[in-house]
Amino acid sequence: MMEMLDCDAVMRQMWDFLDGELPLERMRALEAHIAMCERCSGHAKFERSFKAALRTAREDGADSTALGARVLAALRREGFTDPRGA
Amino acid sequence: MTESRRTDGEFETEALRHLPEVARFARSLAGNDADADDLVQDTFLTAYRQWHQYERGTACRAWLFTICRNRYYRVRERAQRQVATDDPVLESLAAAELHRSAQEGGLSDAFERSEVREAVQRAMAALPEVYREVAVLVDLHDQTYETVATILQVPVGTVRSRLFRARRLLQGSLLAFAVDAGLRPRGATPSTRGLAS
Repeated sequence: MMEMLDCDAVMRQMWDFLDGELPLERMRALEAHIAMCERCSGHAKFERSFKAALRTAREDGADSTALGARVLAALRREGFTDPRGA
Repeated sequence: MTESRRTDGEFETEALRHLPEVARFARSLAGNDADADDLVQDTFLTAYRQWHQYERGTACRAWLFTICRNRYYRVRERAQRQVATDDPVLESLAAAELHRSAQEGGLSDAFERSEVREAVQRAMAALPEVYREVAVLVDLHDQTYETVATILQVPVGTVRSRLFRARRLLQGSLLAFAVDAGLRPRGATPSTRGLAS
């Protein structure tokens, strides 16, 4: 039988839930509560949008080619042999 | 193939492929490209020298993040050091309160607005280091609490408390930005309660 949670318990564990850090049983219990609770679903939506906003701070497009060449040069001075023979 | 060439091949396959992620992490620590590039080079040189200590098959990226962070603090001669004693439960409840304040101010969709999203990097950079590094590892690099605890060499509970505090500080900063930018709907009652740390 699934554990029943009140809103305070859900609020206390909201971040752990959104980060997928709770045991499976507890994840399901929070998911079930949020699905049927307007207050908690609103809070979950707010926090999800915040996490999505943070992801925009990633610099996925950063070009690391020049840096990679520099690191490889430094490693070769340490005796590293590039397996590709470059 | 000699043993050293085989080892170098493993280093390239397992470690060097993480260079872009280490570079991003270094940039978040160092705050500027020049220092970050030095830090990345230092990280991989250290990793190469200590490659025999790396346990094959374990999380190489987390191992590199650990080295990167340790080198950063060693080079900067920073003490290990800032103490965060926040309570994660209180931080979670404060986050709920902050959401309520945002709702009252007509800002419940603030984080979906492009102006606010553009302010995220500045808000992240303004965080105290002890909080920023946790938020960067979890929210930008998708590391688990346990992995971050290993990287930072602190208990998982400390990771949670620092992370939740970091997020609340970020939310406060971003919501304050939204208010300053006039994103609050006209006529809505301003409510800044809980928007500041």
